[in-house]
Amino acid sequence: MTNAALFLGGAKQRLLPASLPFRFFVTASVFHAAAWATLLAAAGDLPGFAGGTGLVLAALHLMTIGVLLMTAMGASYQLLPVATGAPIGRLWAIRLSHLLLVIGTILLTLGMALSGPALMATGALTVIAALALFAGLAIGNIRHAGKAMPLVAAHGWGALLSLAVFAGLGLLLVLDFSGGFLSDHVGLARAHMLWAAWGFMGLLAFGFSQVLVPMFALARSVPRRAGWIELTASLVALLAGGVGFAAQIPALVVLAGVGTLSGAAGYLWQMRAALKSRMRKRLGTPFVLIRLSWAMLAAGLVLALSMLALPSWENGPALAGFWLLVGWLLSFLTGVLQKIMPFLASMHAVGRGGRPALQSDLTLQAPLRLHLICHILALALISAGLAFSVTPLILAGAFAGFLGSLGFLWFAIFVVSRLR
Amino acid sequence: MTQDLPGHDWQQEDGLHINVQGLQPPEPMLGILGRIDSLTAPAQVTVHHDRDPIYLYPELAERGWSWEIVPGEPGEVRLILRKRP
Repeated sequence: MTNAALFLGGAKQRLLPASLPFRFFVTASVFHAAAWATLLAAAGDLPGFAGGTGLVLAALHLMTIGVLLMTAMGASYQLLPVATGAPIGRLWAIRLSHLLLVIGTILLTLGMALSGPALMATGALTVIAALALFAGLAIGNIRHAGKAMPLVAAHGWGALLSLAVFAGLGLLLVLDFSGGFLSDHVGLARAHMLWAAWGFMGLLAFGFSQVLVPMFALARSVPRRAGWIELTASLVALLAGGVGFAAQIPALVVLAGVGTLSGAAGYLWQMRAALKSRMRKRLGTPFVLIRLSWAMLAAGLVLALSMLALPSWENGPALAGFWLLVGWLLSFLTGVLQKIMPFLASMHAVGRGGRPALQSDLTLQAPLRLHLICHILALALISAGLAFSVTPLILAGAFAGFLGSLGFLWFAIFVVSRLR
Repeated sequence: MTQDLPGHDWQQEDGLHINVQGLQPPEPMLGILGRIDSLTAPAQVTVHHDRDPIYLYPELAERGWSWEIVPGEPGEVRLILRKRP
């Protein structure tokens, strides 16, 4: 028996068939291009964007649901069984959750772009069905974590709680576009964004970083105490921000800001400690993106907090949101995907002489370099465009982002083509 | 140097043994790769683990090592690693 067959045979419970995680990753790569293309079409509407249906909202949700959530679900399905040592559950449910998420994302974002309440509501309900399946599978798995990796499991529980809150708020917001029954749509929209970006995506990113960053960098595991401080501060921020935004209590919003900053400080302290003790000296392109994401996390939070003191800057909230969404979360996830896709593929692909394929043979540097350069250009140009309300800069930035997303899609298709 | 790495090791007639049982991921990977990277001559290494370390295998392949799961104690996953010529 070959080495590849041996380890696949010995790890069936924890290593999913390649088609499962990769269908999420490739779909996320397609939505990544669609999100930038939509933003390109909506460039003129971005300065001063403060909510409401249209292309900007559609681009935002193509990015958050189509790329970030899609990637998070695919990665969780593969990483949770490895972290907890327990199987993830029924494979048909994973396939169905993917299908529902794809259909739901298309319907929801189409409804947002066309301002169609019925399409939006159908899309939102379909996304929620996908999330419910995901939550059921994840809960079943984390329940079996026992004493293994308590910090990762605690982040998982926090993310699942956030998922329930942001999905419920999201449905209310969508229904409100036609019903108009909410007294404070904007306040609830901010709470929805906080629980989605910080609660769900953030806690998942913080939790999986405990394993992934030391694993990629070959570093000692991260300091646990800072991780618990980060988690506590993050949960305080979520509760305070959720109530503060919904009930318009500024003191609670400030407390949420302090909580997110403290949480980020704890997390960045952990990551710094991990990288300081690493054995792998050359970390490559993925870590350029991951380090950029950490810088943008800090910058985005500082800018968001300063908006509380400078509420008159019209484009400030959009810029802070852009830094956190694209600068932090998108940079982090694309960096992680660049590592994890060849890594997972090498477990399934068979190379020369029946040996496992090498990760280095399953990656392509040219498209990744293209993506990196375009991603940084997009960040810089759109930031400048938002800061000075110059639409051509936003247009150029969105075009760079679109070009970079094509590079990333090229890379994703190359990796998948090597799977046998 | 290897005292700084997670897990512990000892020499037997059949080569280096590394025990990473009871460690949380990714410490077993670090303990194993840190030790085999410091070996100067081709060798056989026996790893005592408590789970099938599926994420270790791509790293071993990248370094030119092969592996084989062999019978071990109850609750133990025992691996024999060999540097490919």
